[in-house]
Amino acid sequence: MSDNSELRTPLRPLARILAARRRGENPDNIEKENIRLRHEDMRDKSRLRSEGRLLVLGVFFLCAFGIVGVRMGQMAISTPIEPQSSGSGTGIVALRADITDRNGRILATNINTSALYAHPQDMVNPEGAAHALVGIFPELELERLLRDFTGERRFVWIRRQLSPEQQQAVFDIGEPGLLFGPREMRLYPNGDIAAHIMGGATYGREAVNSAEIVGTAGVEAQFDEFLRDPVNDGAPLQLSLDLTVQAATEDVLYGGMRLMNAEGASSVLMDVYTGEVIAIASLPDFDPNNRPRPATEGDASQSPLFNRAVQGVYELGSVFKIFTAAQAMEEGIANPSTEIETQGPLRWGRFTINDFHNYGPRLSLTDVIVRSSNVGTAHLAQMIGAERQRTFLGSLGLLEATPFEIIEARGGRPLLPPNWSEISTMTISYGHGLSSSPLHLATAYASVLNGGLRIEPTLLRQDGPRLGPRVVSAETSAAARSMLRQVVSRGTASFGEVPGYEVGGKTGTADKPRPQGGYYEDRTIATFASIFPASDPRYVLVVTLDEPETFIAGETRRTAGWTVVPVAAEMIRRIAPLLGLRPEIETEGPVGITLSSN
Amino acid sequence: MSFLEHNLKTVPTGFRKILHLNWPIVLLLMAICTVGFIMLYSVAGGSLRPWADPQIKRFALGMSLMLIIAMVPIWFWRNMAGVAYLGSLLLLVMVELFGAVGMGAQRWIDLGFMRLQPSELTKVTLVMILAAYYDWLGVGKVSRPIWVIIPLLLILIPTALVLRQPDLGTAILLVTGGGIIMFLAGVSWYYFGAVIAIATGIVAAVFRTRGTEWQFLKDYQYRRIDTFLDPSSDPLGAGYHITQSKIALGSGGFSGRGFMQGTQSRLNFLPEKHTDFIFTTLAEEFGFIGAFSLLTLYLLVLVFCAASAFSNKDRFASLLTLGVAATFFLFFAVNMSMVMGLAPVVGVPLPLVSYGGSAMLVLLVAFGLVQSAHVHRPR
Repeated sequence: MSDNSELRTPLRPLARILAARRRGENPDNIEKENIRLRHEDMRDKSRLRSEGRLLVLGVFFLCAFGIVGVRMGQMAISTPIEPQSSGSGTGIVALRADITDRNGRILATNINTSALYAHPQDMVNPEGAAHALVGIFPELELERLLRDFTGERRFVWIRRQLSPEQQQAVFDIGEPGLLFGPREMRLYPNGDIAAHIMGGATYGREAVNSAEIVGTAGVEAQFDEFLRDPVNDGAPLQLSLDLTVQAATEDVLYGGMRLMNAEGASSVLMDVYTGEVIAIASLPDFDPNNRPRPATEGDASQSPLFNRAVQGVYELGSVFKIFTAAQAMEEGIANPSTEIETQGPLRWGRFTINDFHNYGPRLSLTDVIVRSSNVGTAHLAQMIGAERQRTFLGSLGLLEATPFEIIEARGGRPLLPPNWSEISTMTISYGHGLSSSPLHLATAYASVLNGGLRIEPTLLRQDGPRLGPRVVSAETSAAARSMLRQVVSRGTASFGEVPGYEVGGKTGTADKPRPQGGYYEDRTIATFASIFPASDPRYVLVVTLDEPETFIAGETRRTAGWTVVPVAAEMIRRIAPLLGLRPEIETEGPVGITLSSN
Repeated sequence: MSFLEHNLKTVPTGFRKILHLNWPIVLLLMAICTVGFIMLYSVAGGSLRPWADPQIKRFALGMSLMLIIAMVPIWFWRNMAGVAYLGSLLLLVMVELFGAVGMGAQRWIDLGFMRLQPSELTKVTLVMILAAYYDWLGVGKVSRPIWVIIPLLLILIPTALVLRQPDLGTAILLVTGGGIIMFLAGVSWYYFGAVIAIATGIVAAVFRTRGTEWQFLKDYQYRRIDTFLDPSSDPLGAGYHITQSKIALGSGGFSGRGFMQGTQSRLNFLPEKHTDFIFTTLAEEFGFIGAFSLLTLYLLVLVFCAASAFSNKDRFASLLTLGVAATFFLFFAVNMSMVMGLAPVVGVPLPLVSYGGSAMLVLLVAFGLVQSAHVHRPR
């Protein structure tokens, strides 16, 4: 330490030593004094330096102290927030409201399952895990799993949904890199019942800890916002459907479709005062739990996803005649007993209108409906005129899409003639040249026959009648019901008689149009539009069969009276008790069965 | 003959030394340790077992060691610095060869009655050797490159061994603590500037090599850094510690939930609740007041150490005191920042409070050296 070159003062300066010796003092004291001075000098130098350094460090420490202290205070005043269920996926509201029928029975609900995903970088034994997973889920591809697990990927989805057994099996693999996330799944416990109404749901945004369920069709899509809205606090969406009636309807419809060798079938059951649809079915159908993908080729209207009752617009045929008759009575052109000219064929330009049978020169208005005379109806239409007919059909809602609450209803837009000429007027009067859906037809029947007040079809449960403006007078409505009753009791729909339920209705058989123009000779759409009980109307039921064909009484029958009417009658027989209707003894004596015709 | 020995006459002898201890520091250390016992008692659900009881025993042992070391003249310790440093290096190598593996790291040597963590010991011996080195080195040579390389090697050799265990927290403490002593010893500012520049380069390199065969850190260490940068990215995984401790600190509020009323730690939300994350329990039960008081206790220890070093005319003694104080500061600053989400989770205990034998013993031994320096200061 003492060899510092800066120290120039010798420890024992000769002059001072000699001077001290001369004075008789100990010269060692001088050395000691110099050592002390030297040390102090050295110390002071390093001191000066380290003081500055210490100051810098002290300031740094104080800053650190300040930062930590401030942070402490900041956190102390912060409100503790529980971590959200997940980092990614936070903010996805996974709760979707249930859908119930009119009596609160569940049509759609959610169940909790688990999703399975992997963090390959956390895996202990990727090959083993891949093999074990393929053992549990045969649909997984081993090569792909191996590639995903051993490659660069940090995250791999394996399955969106697991059953509890599968989850346990995956758990038993004991692989820490395989992880589960809670997952809600949309469940339709009734399977394919009301499939077209439910539509289906799929996952929207999804993360490991939750996923968004998004409606893809039917009410799920129509009310998607409502069902997902947390404001409703889980309140279910209550539909107008009655699950029991719906099930019975589909049951009978399916049986009828098979029995009549039809391609497809549909039915609509509607409350005539509220417009509530109690049951609505379209066959073939599907299971909304496992909604098939839309076909990319072929005719979309033949797909099981196609809702014939709502989306399918057809020329429905003679069922339209009652509108013509009702309008004629309403306009004062005729009353039920007015004689109408029915001599066929009726020629108009290059068109010829014929009847199925020749009914002779004249029939009363009632018999025009009961016998279903095209010629008579066309004559009435000529008297009514195009403008008035168009206005009337418009007031029944037959010229635009229904406001029915499933997204498919927007696509069920009626097909109108390009120009509403006189010949169009005449063909539309008996249901040709204007295409509409069975739902349109049911709505129009209900409006005309419920006493004459317009109703709108709805899928939501209503608390009371929803009656719109008057379309026909109560008298006209009653007369029309009486005519329809007679169609069943002594007319073309005699197979529609259901004792005690006073069924009234009108058949309609329309030839199917060829895609390339014109009509098929041997393919029909058979429709039966009915109301029951006729004297005190409660429900309208429309049933259609697509291309029915049955061999009865020595020939192949395709007309409504032979095909769809018995199906509808069976349906009414099944559902009327379910709807709470009591069979009544009829005042009018039943008339013997007449062979059915167009 | 050193200046210290020269002043031997004025230094107290025998049991009179006890009167000359730096009593404020002793009392502050006892207070901090007591906070630790209380928290360990609380974390165990109101029980001395399994943590508070052994911790108290170790505290008694550590206090005795501290007093014994304080009685021994500081120049003896200066002469022992080299031996101690080489001994701790040897232990680090031994741990590398024979050590027990725990929590993914090889850190302990089982001595039978306790598990010794040589990396903890190194924190003290490094301070000693550096202080002795600069005491020996003339003031004028401090900044010459050749004399800078030697202390750098002294720091980096144990750091490399510690990193191999791997123990990132201790490595950071060693490097930073050694750096602070070099700074206090008067090494030119230019070196520190250069080191900071190089460190920035290394950090960049570490992140650039991530995901390749050559990555420097283990995956979990990368993930800790990721989590630090965005703890919310994985609140149930890697970010769990920080998120939960933040909740605990927040729920403590200003005055806390009360002794033994902490939910976060009691309900086992927090892993490591008795070691690295014990501060959250304190903050939850005693709130901002409790946490800030502990911080103040720590700061007072630093202030008294600085005062002692300042009044000490011996270079070794003052550098040693400041080095121990710096290490102590780094302990609690890194731990608190980590718990409060200001720094990555690197696994540094809260000094004298966290459960852990080696850390407490080593710190008390270090303060024994500080006491010795104080008692035997030249007057």
